[in-house]
Order: sequence, then C-alpha cells, then structure tokens
Amino acid sequence: MEIIVPIKQVPDVALNIKVKDGAVIEEGLSYVISSWDETALEAALQITEDIGGEVTLLTIGPEKAAESLRKGLAMGAHKAIHVKYYDAKQTDSFAYAKILQKVLEGREYDLILAGRQSQDTDAGLTAPMLAEFLDLPQVTNIIRFSNVSNQNMTLYRKGDHATEVLEMELPGVVTVHDTLNEPRLASMRGIMMAKKKPLEEIELEAIGITSEMSGLEGSMTEVLHYDKPESRKEGKNFEGDEKDTVKQALDLLISEAKFLV
Amino acid sequence: MSKILIVAEVKNGEIKKNTLELLSFSKTQGIETGVVLIGSEVTELADILAGQGASKVYLADDSSLEIYNTEQYTALVTDALQQSESNQVWLSSSELGRDLCPRLAARHGVGALSDVTQLEVNGDQVTAQRPCMSTKIIQKCQFSKDGLRVITIRSGFFNAEETTPVSANIVSLSIPAGHAKLKVKEVKVEVSDEVELNEASIIVSAGRGVGGAEGCDFVKPLANDLGAAFGASRAVCDAGWLPHKHQVGQTGTMVTPDFYFAMGISGAIQHLAGMSGSKVIVAVNKDPDAPIFKVADYGIVGDLFKAVPVFREEVSKIKD
Ligand SMILES: Cc1cc2nc3c(=O)[nH]c(=O)nc-3n(C[C@H](O)[C@H](O)[C@H](O)COP(=O)(O)OP(=O)(O)OC[C@H]3O[C@@H](n4cnc5c(N)ncnc54)[C@H](O)[C@@H]3O)c2cc1C
Ligand SMILES: Nc1ncnc2c1ncn2[C@@H]1O[C@H](COP(=O)(O)O)[C@@H](O)[C@H]1O
Repeated sequence: MEIIVPIKQVPDVALNIKVKDGAVIEEGLSYVISSWDETALEAALQITEDIGGEVTLLTIGPEKAAESLRKGLAMGAHKAIHVKYYDAKQTDSFAYAKILQKVLEGREYDLILAGRQSQDTDAGLTAPMLAEFLDLPQVTNIIRFSNVSNQNMTLYRKGDHATEVLEMELPGVVTVHDTLNEPRLASMRGIMMAKKKPLEEIELEAIGITSEMSGLEGSMTEVLHYDKPESRKEGKNFEGDEKDTVKQALDLLISEAKFLV
Repeated sequence: MSKILIVAEVKNGEIKKNTLELLSFSKTQGIETGVVLIGSEVTELADILAGQGASKVYLADDSSLEIYNTEQYTALVTDALQQSESNQVWLSSSELGRDLCPRLAARHGVGALSDVTQLEVNGDQVTAQRPCMSTKIIQKCQFSKDGLRVITIRSGFFNAEETTPVSANIVSLSIPAGHAKLKVKEVKVEVSDEVELNEASIIVSAGRGVGGAEGCDFVKPLANDLGAAFGASRAVCDAGWLPHKHQVGQTGTMVTPDFYFAMGISGAIQHLAGMSGSKVIVAVNKDPDAPIFKVADYGIVGDLFKAVPVFREEVSKIKD
C-alpha cells in the first residue's frame, strides 16, 4: 500500500496567539505539524505496519516546514516530499489543493490520508477539493477503519446522526477525526533514522506552478484581517454554601437572562 | 442579481433547525432564495420550506438518498444550481455540509468559505467572519474572484422564525447514480430520544469533575428536567464514561445554545472553542481559578455533587 499523507506546518494553537493591526504577530509563534495530520500519519503507519507498503509525507511550505517532515519521518514515515513555498501568505485551501494535485500527477499511490481540517485555518476544505481534482472518491471524518487491503477498505464515518460504514475502492481520499488514534511519539532511534530517509525537494516552477496559481492570485478567497474574538463581559461569581449560591445564581439567571421564562 | 440556493437538511422526517435559520437569514437579505431538498420520503416537507420563503424547492426524493453521500448530493446540488441560476449556495456547517461544500466548490472550480459565523451579502460581494486557530482568532474574509459563492454557516447565529407552510413550487430533479467506487454498507444510527447537541437551546455538560460514569448519571437528570441536551468534555468521553457523540468542543460538536451549564469542566481551550459562543454560560467548579470562570456569566465555586440537587429542586419549583 502506497499512502500519501499531506501535512501542514502550522502555529501551535495551544500557545497564546496575538494580533496587531489586523495581522497575526509572527514573533513568539512556535510551529508544529497540524494535530489532525499527525492522526492521519499515525493511521497510515498502522496500515503499512499491518499490510506492508510505504508512507510518503507531503508538505507545501517554507524552508522551516522541513522540520515537520523530519519529525514525521522520525515517527516512522518512509519518505517525504517538500514542495518549497516561500511566501504562503494569502494562500487558501483551493490553491493548496491545486498545487497538491500538480505534485501528485504521475505519481503512484493507493490512498491519500489527510487531516479533517488544519489547525491554523480550521477550514476543512483542501482534502475533498483535492479528491475532486483527482477524480477520486472521498470519505471524510473517519473514526475507525477495518479490512484494509491494497484494493479497498472499510471506513466508519461520523455523520450527523449516525456512524456511516462505507466500503471504498482504492485509490481514494480519506480525512480523519482526531479520536481515530493517539499519534505515537518519535523514538530516539526514529530520530536518528529520519536523517537518512529520502526527502525530495521540489520547486514550484519545476511542476508548472506559475505565480498565477499560487498566493493570492491562485486563491479564490482572501483574509482581510485577523482579530481577537470579542471577550465575554465579566461574569458574576458566587462562593459559599451551594444551597445559597445555586439559588442566588438561579435568581439572576431568571431575572437577568430570562432563563425558563 | 444575486440568487441563493440553500441545501436543506432533514432529520427524523423534519427540516432541521439549521436549515430554517439559513432561510430566515436569507429572507432578511431580501434575496431570492431556492432550496434543494434531498432525501427519502421528504416531499411533504417542501411546503414548510416554501412557508419559510423558498421561492422554489428543487426536490430529489428517492430511497437511495436516505443517507447522505458525496457523489449524488454533489450532482443534485449542481443540477439545482444550474436550473435556478443561483450564484450562491449556502450550507450548514454540519458533517453533511463539511463534506459536501469543498467537493461542490471544486466541481465548480471555485473556493469556499467554511464555518462562517457572520455574513454580509452585497450583490455578488460576500464578506464573512469565521473563527480559526481553535477560535482564538476571528478572520474577516471574502471571495476574491468572480464565480459561484459556496459557504457553510454555523448554526445558532441567526434566529429561525416560526412560519406556516404554504404550497411549494416544486422542481423535481432526476436522480443521479452514486459513486461506483464507494458504497454505504450500513448505518449505525444511535436511536435515542435525546436532544441533539447542535439543535439544543439548553445544554448541560459534565466534565472530569463528575468522577466517573456514575457521576454522569448523577448530572444527566438535570438535563432531562430542563429538556436540555447532555454534553461532555473530551476527558469524559475518552475515559469511556459517555459515548463520543456527547463531546462538546473543537473536535466534538460546536455548540451555541442559549444556556450552557458546565459541571466540573476546567475550561480547556479546545472545550471553550466549542461552546464559548453560547449566549449564557453557567459553571460549577470547585477550583476558583478554573479557566471556565473566565467565560462564565454565572460562576458557582463549589461542589457539583451538592449543587446539582439544589438546581433540580429549584427548577422543579419553578416549573410547578
Ligand atoms: C487536539 C486536541 C483536541 C481536543 N478537543 C477537545 C474537545 O473537543 N473538547 C474537550 O472538551 N476537550 C478537548 N481536548 C481536551 C482538553 O485539552 C482538556 O483535556 C479537556 O477538555 C479537559 O476536560 P475536563 O475539563 O472535563 O477535565 P479537567 O481539565 O480534568 O477538569 C476537571 C475539572 O473539574 C473540577 N472538579 C473536580 N471535582 C469537582 C467537583 N466535585 N465539583 C465541581 N468541580 C469539580 C476540577 O476543579 C477541574 O477544573 C482536546 C485536546 C487536544 C490536544
Ligand atoms: N500546505 C499544505 N501542505 C500539505 N498539506 C496540506 C497543506 N494545506 C492543507 N493540507 C492538507 O489539507 C488538510 C486540510 O486543510 P484545510 O483546508 O486548511 O483545513 C490538512 O489537514 C492537510 O492534510
């Protein structure tokens, strides 16, 4: 089984993120593999450990995105492709999906395992767009899979009111829900081995991506500005015996917030 | 001239609240709006959509459409878009919408704005706000090229008005084939009368502070008393005290009820990302420094095991 895992290097959203004049402040950001992509990678590793094959990481990003590829290789991916993308600002999911399509043209693979959404955009658009561009079936938001062979697999998708069990003929595109697994940590040995694993570097021009196909020009949407969400107004706290505090809170809930009225 | 097409969602033979919200919102914009209604045994729901202002209902009623699937839905919405000559398509940010929106946009060679919480429509110009980076940041964004606007909108941001059904102007769509390489084998519906998280106007949620599955059983009756949905933090679901469908948060269900009760939930960023849009937040937590108190309108510093019975008693008094 040949599996492609497209990963995105993103700011760590667990840390404080500051904005100034409508832009995110770069300073102080620390970059990680988007958490859903780590889940996708873990799933890919489990499949190849089970039935054989190779996992190829693929990222479109600046020089420093290579660190994330090394991390994924240390976790166990077999090889990596780095599409060098120096100015990622104002690139939307549509443009990334188009570039991914170009990179994958002419390559052999059975499965593309991607994140449900990336941690910076929270868009959740790239993978199904890529599936359409490649004319492949898609199953999004999977919480489980089984019966994986080189020809097909069973996927459990978390739908709105039910778990949908689907049988997909490969090749296809799958996105993962984060409860699918707990991504492994890289071992010391893994980190050492990663240095020797193949990391292919591709320049955009080499695959025919012109300036009209990247950045703002290649995108269909644009971000005008970033802001902190409006903070909620100061609440009221009650301390003491629950018999009193719950009643006090409920009184205000009813009189101020029209609870149950 | 702008024209909108809304993709309707149906559950248990009813039009879902998120769809009615989109229709009510489009009505306030005064833009002609059609609805595409897809499903099995859904024809009679067309009049409800017409009552809510749908100028036309593009209908695909077929047993093969009982369960959502990407390929047939994409083809049907595409057909309805062509027939209605709409230049915008609005979907809810449900699992259906999240799966369909990017596929549909790509088929039309355009981009999309997903999970939008505020929308401004000015002819062809669409500007939106959407949370990103775990709701730590809000982006203002717009479509920067001409073409179809594909948008998914979170529920709970517009009010659905009550209306009476009127006879719908129906256009029947022909039923396309499904994807040859993808088959639905079975559907595991968790049948329950529980109120669903993303439809609820009151939610009572349990966190690790409830201490175990028995603790969940202790809090749940309060949800029942209030006719509320029962939610949980991920810690509770990961521990197996409740199934994952109860999880509220960034990777669970994003909720925006009128009232959210957090019982023994610390208020981790990923939990807040999913519920801080609630209109009123009530929190009970032993720890006065718990981050949940930063977003709570009413914070009770105390033991949930003592607080829940008082809530139940007082609520029953109010209801009498
Ligand atoms: C990628 C990722 C995605 C995530 N997505 C989600 C998500 O979608 N939703 C989510 O919820 N979490 C999510 N998490 C997990 C999140 O970071 C927290 O670990 C989780 O929300 C903690 O749950 P909790 O508040 O119930 O537990 P804790 O943080 O352990 O808090 C328990 C609280 O209960 C209080 N308490 C204890 N006993 C009592 C008592 N008797 N009475 C009153 N209070 C009491 C304690 O003071 C404490 O504040 C995610 C994490 C990651 C890394
Ligand atoms: N720059 C990128 N390089 C590689 N993969 C990407 C990139 N951007 C997005 N993806 C993939 O697409 C998924 C969804 O992205 P998004 O549409 O931004 O939510 C991610 O989880 C990745 O798997």
